[in-house]
Amino acid sequence: MTHIALDAIVKNFGAVRVLDGCSVAVDKGTVMTLLGPSGCGKTTLLRTLAGFVEPDAGRVRVGDRDITDLPPNRRQVGYVFQSYALFPHLDVAANVAYGLRVRRVGRAETQERVRKALDLVSLSAFADRYPARLSGGQQQRVAIARAMVLEPEVLLLDEPFNALDAKLRLSMQIELRKLIERVGITSIFVTHDQQEAMTLSDRVAVMRAGRIEQVGTPIEIYDRPRTAYVAAFIGRANVLAVDVAAGRVVADPAIAAARPDGPAWLVARPENLTLEPGGEGAGWRGTVAFSTPQGATIEYEVATGAPEPLRVVTLRKVGEPPLPVGTPVRVRAVDPAACVVLEDGPDGA
Amino acid sequence: MALEAAARPRAPATLLRRILHGNGIWPAVPALLYLFVFLALPMLTLLAFGFVTIDRGRVVGDTWTLDHLKAALSDELVWRLMWRSFWVAAVSSLLTLILAYPVAYLFAETKGIWRTLILVAVISPLLTSALVRAYAWLVILGGRRGILNQTLLSLGIVDQPLRILNTDWAVLIGMTQIHLPFMILPLLAVLAERDRRLEEASLNLGASQTGTFFRVVVPMSVPAIFAGLALVFAISYTNFIVPQLLGGGSYSTLAVQVYEQTIVVLDWTRGAVLATILLTTCFAFVMGIVAFGNRLARWNEATT
Amino acid sequence: MSRRLSPIDRVGRVVLGALAAFSLLLLVAPSIIVVAISFEPRGFISFPPSGFSLRWYEHVFANRQLTDSVVVSLWVSLATAAIALVLGVPAAFASVRGTFAGRSAANAFLLSPQMMPGMVIGIASLFFGAYFAFRASNTMLILALSVFCLPFVIRIAMARLAGLDPRLDEASANLGAGKLETFARVTLPQMGPALVAAAAFTFIEAFDNVTVALFTSDVRGRPLPVELYYLVQYDSSPAIAAISALEIGLSFAIMLVIARTVGLERLGR
Repeated sequence: MTHIALDAIVKNFGAVRVLDGCSVAVDKGTVMTLLGPSGCGKTTLLRTLAGFVEPDAGRVRVGDRDITDLPPNRRQVGYVFQSYALFPHLDVAANVAYGLRVRRVGRAETQERVRKALDLVSLSAFADRYPARLSGGQQQRVAIARAMVLEPEVLLLDEPFNALDAKLRLSMQIELRKLIERVGITSIFVTHDQQEAMTLSDRVAVMRAGRIEQVGTPIEIYDRPRTAYVAAFIGRANVLAVDVAAGRVVADPAIAAARPDGPAWLVARPENLTLEPGGEGAGWRGTVAFSTPQGATIEYEVATGAPEPLRVVTLRKVGEPPLPVGTPVRVRAVDPAACVVLEDGPDGA
Repeated sequence: MALEAAARPRAPATLLRRILHGNGIWPAVPALLYLFVFLALPMLTLLAFGFVTIDRGRVVGDTWTLDHLKAALSDELVWRLMWRSFWVAAVSSLLTLILAYPVAYLFAETKGIWRTLILVAVISPLLTSALVRAYAWLVILGGRRGILNQTLLSLGIVDQPLRILNTDWAVLIGMTQIHLPFMILPLLAVLAERDRRLEEASLNLGASQTGTFFRVVVPMSVPAIFAGLALVFAISYTNFIVPQLLGGGSYSTLAVQVYEQTIVVLDWTRGAVLATILLTTCFAFVMGIVAFGNRLARWNEATT
Repeated sequence: MSRRLSPIDRVGRVVLGALAAFSLLLLVAPSIIVVAISFEPRGFISFPPSGFSLRWYEHVFANRQLTDSVVVSLWVSLATAAIALVLGVPAAFASVRGTFAGRSAANAFLLSPQMMPGMVIGIASLFFGAYFAFRASNTMLILALSVFCLPFVIRIAMARLAGLDPRLDEASANLGAGKLETFARVTLPQMGPALVAAAAFTFIEAFDNVTVALFTSDVRGRPLPVELYYLVQYDSSPAIAAISALEIGLSFAIMLVIARTVGLERLGR
């Protein structure tokens, strides 16, 4: 059942169209991630949902209510800000109690709900600390408690892990995912980090220049990118110009393609390619241009005469050195069915 | 609720919201109106009073006239007073710069309690009435009984008391000391926050410390120097308290004349004309200082 | 740092240090001298004072005209600070947070009184009042002084507001607070110290001001600076030193307030 619906949202900042007819639907109790590079409009879309941005066109619905015209303070939408926006002049308990005070909730009930919210994020011992004296991870948990104590219908999180150092990030991501599952709240994350999107979400919406490019589960997005842009943004991909004839990509060996005849683009993940030394037999021919041993794997760049070299990741055996630069090799797809054939190439070519 | 919201026309809702929004001009409107009534209109009145004839606070006659302005501009005394106002302000601004720069530099180099003490030494005079400080100079410089002469005579440095009070010297000394904090403060902010790597670069490239000071530190602070010069010049040029008290009864400047014509002689027309001349020339000189500063600091211009 | 200094650098340091020391002495010596001579037991000034006595302070407190003028000045300064604060804080809010057309022009106009010499504001107010047949009065003084002091409040408030994170306001709205409630619960508490400093600064500026006051104040019930101005012109008894010493004490109290709220260094900006 759709819980949050953003419907054809348009927003211009001056002459710049930041959102160009964005539509997203999020099912009740699921986690959606808006993923895209900086400037793609993902934060603006989230701010539209919270009411900080007034859309020029389009509607915003939560449950069966149209909230497009509600001011931010009348929406039941929890929001965790990038770098958290904790009130510096209030201690942790007062930060969490803020929304309850504004709503004139009684003193006893406020105390009880603040206590529960702080328990939920395991911060009860820090109730009388000021935000300046908390670590980044603790601040994040206060921000979450401050939003959750109001029992909002949905929870929005704007790059919540940006302010944390890399080590802390992964464990906090897992903690947060568990917390959201426990409470069962419909949530939307914004991030530019694809790994974060994979860890956190049920579904991912990849954004590009104010539009939604593709929506799906993390695995769908990775395995079946609908455009070369999505393929290149999620993980790494080789995008090759190929020809399709009689339902097959013209290559050796041929790859099945449910496409009309003519030019097309083949997307192959580096780990779905393998190489063998020697210039004879099936596959793309080329020479090793560069190699990087990465421990368990070796990454090769293979020059094939195309503008971009092919990237190939192979498993490395103990004691095995990479092939020297200049070695003639043949590159083949490990699983031809895992390759994707698209009509449009990179940058809409 | 959903239907209501969807059916409501958007335009009036957003207009009302914009007024309540807090991003509009509305919070500033009371202050703007206040300044319009109690600053802009009075300034217009002041300008206008120079071009009408006034007798005992009443406008007499109903025509505009340039006679008063012409009379003032053809009066040799006015030009002499303007010249004195100018050079006194110019010299005392330069003196404040020479005295202020080392203090600001020292402040930037010190830490802890000394820093606080310097700050107190600079700001406490700023918060003390200029009248009190002029009085202090009256006591220090004044005649045979003046503290300076008492000291110099008793130490045998001079055998005749120096005559400083009621001369240009007294006015210059008083103005320089009283306006010193206004020069130190802008320099202090800039020098304390300057990028010291530039000086390290200069030393690394072979310049001496003195060379680095004059080639890097001083040029980098040119915007602050000229901001200070413009401010101190303007307040010195229009100061009438110091010339009156330290220059003596017969010492006059353009600003002193404005005061005397308006409050003592009660010739408001002449007061208004002289005030207009004072304000206009002050702006012109300040613009000159700012323009010169900008020429010296073209690197500081915004890139747009 | 003193290692391997060339002779010219040594001389440069000495000159710089000497100039700094001289100018710091110049800054504080007059105030110290005034305070010292206020304890003079005799009827004329000498330095160092010939003894210690508080007779001139008693003299000052017994002088009805002086104590009355202090009361007038207190009221005038309080009213000025109140008006400047009430008008200036919302104006600073619009200046910093506003997104309306003509904002920079509005800003320039709001800060324009600081371009005007006090004397010109005083004369202009006097003439404007006279045009409507209002005579100089302490009400006129309050109006003129509040115009004169408005930029101080606006600048201090703007500096503080610009340092506040606008996302805190969004967070407050998101948690259910309206515009006014957000202002009261989030913005004002964070601005509090800056506002105390602005009020203190405005108060002392109004209390000390003589250039505006000479033109606009009441002939009866003169404020202290005007009273002092006439005294200084015709008299140099240690009584004036006693009043001056009291004013210096007041300025130190104000400085302490500013130091404890926004910090003295902020005044320079």
